[in-house]
Amino acid sequence: MKSVVTTVVSAADAAGRFPSTSDLESVQGSLQRAAARLEAAEKLAAGIDAVAKEGYDACIKKYPYLNDAGEANSTDVFKEKCLRDIKHYLRLINYCLIVGGTGPLDEWGIAGQREVYRALSLPTAPYVEAMRFTRDRACAPRDMSAQALVEFRALLDYVINSLS
Amino acid sequence: MLDAFSRAVINADSKTACIGGEELSSLRTFISEGNKRLDAVNAVASNASCIVSDSVAGMICENQGLIQAGGNCYPNRRMAACLRDGEIILRYVTYALLAGDASVLEDRCLNGLKETYIALGVPLGSAARAVSIMKACSVAHINQTNEMYSGTPKYRKMETQQGDCSSLASECASYFDRVIAALS
Repeated sequence: MKSVVTTVVSAADAAGRFPSTSDLESVQGSLQRAAARLEAAEKLAAGIDAVAKEGYDACIKKYPYLNDAGEANSTDVFKEKCLRDIKHYLRLINYCLIVGGTGPLDEWGIAGQREVYRALSLPTAPYVEAMRFTRDRACAPRDMSAQALVEFRALLDYVINSLS
Repeated sequence: MLDAFSRAVINADSKTACIGGEELSSLRTFISEGNKRLDAVNAVASNASCIVSDSVAGMICENQGLIQAGGNCYPNRRMAACLRDGEIILRYVTYALLAGDASVLEDRCLNGLKETYIALGVPLGSAARAVSIMKACSVAHINQTNEMYSGTPKYRKMETQQGDCSSLASECASYFDRVIAALS
């Protein structure tokens, strides 16, 4: 899975050399920024159910037609699955905050995303709304520190871009 | 290839759980001890040729037959191959130590190594012995307890900040143990 360390090790291995000073400096750089990422991951993990629910409510509020018979949010089973999907994205964001790269989202969220939603004829706009709401709702220092929020929002934007 | 962080993610994903609480605290330790880890990797990587040649020399000292006609380190061509392999194994151990996870060592070095050595007629016992000397050497470099001979002063002291590196030393030793286990 792609991260700073694995990139550095792959490059060193391709050249057949031991980890050099510059390799160690790159790793050190990513470790320095890691504290904020881990803080965001921790806060997100602690409140993931509430965050997902708020995002879900916001997207249904913006797109109430989803509740109509035959639409994506019309039955209890569908409602549960919509909420689950939003929580799924948030969990992958939690992983990306831990790894320090977009590897988990790329491999487990975004790859094949378009094809799946097309096959199930699901609209992507409601997901975008849920992520956008979560991004604008999060606030420092109430939810997490400013630097942690920057990291969190960057990943929410990454998901939004992948869906739009 | 994984590192300590992506390993935690893979484990959490198999349970569809978020990462928080206990797993986070072990990752926080990884970060706060990060400089120590980089110093440890540097201590091993900077002394690599010394560690490799000492280990191969030690292996031969204990088994002189290796450098006599018919031995596996005779002639120079095969001795050179032996030194080269020692360096490759040590290199992958430094990668694993840097990443904090053994997957790079397992996938890129140990997978199929035993079968290759059997096919080439390399004595596995001797190879494992050289690796175990490399382990002792590397651990000594990380802990800065390396000495010339008993009684003589330490040599090649790295000017790093002093601290307790025992957990890193045992982590590094565990990677060498994986190599030894893969060869036996």
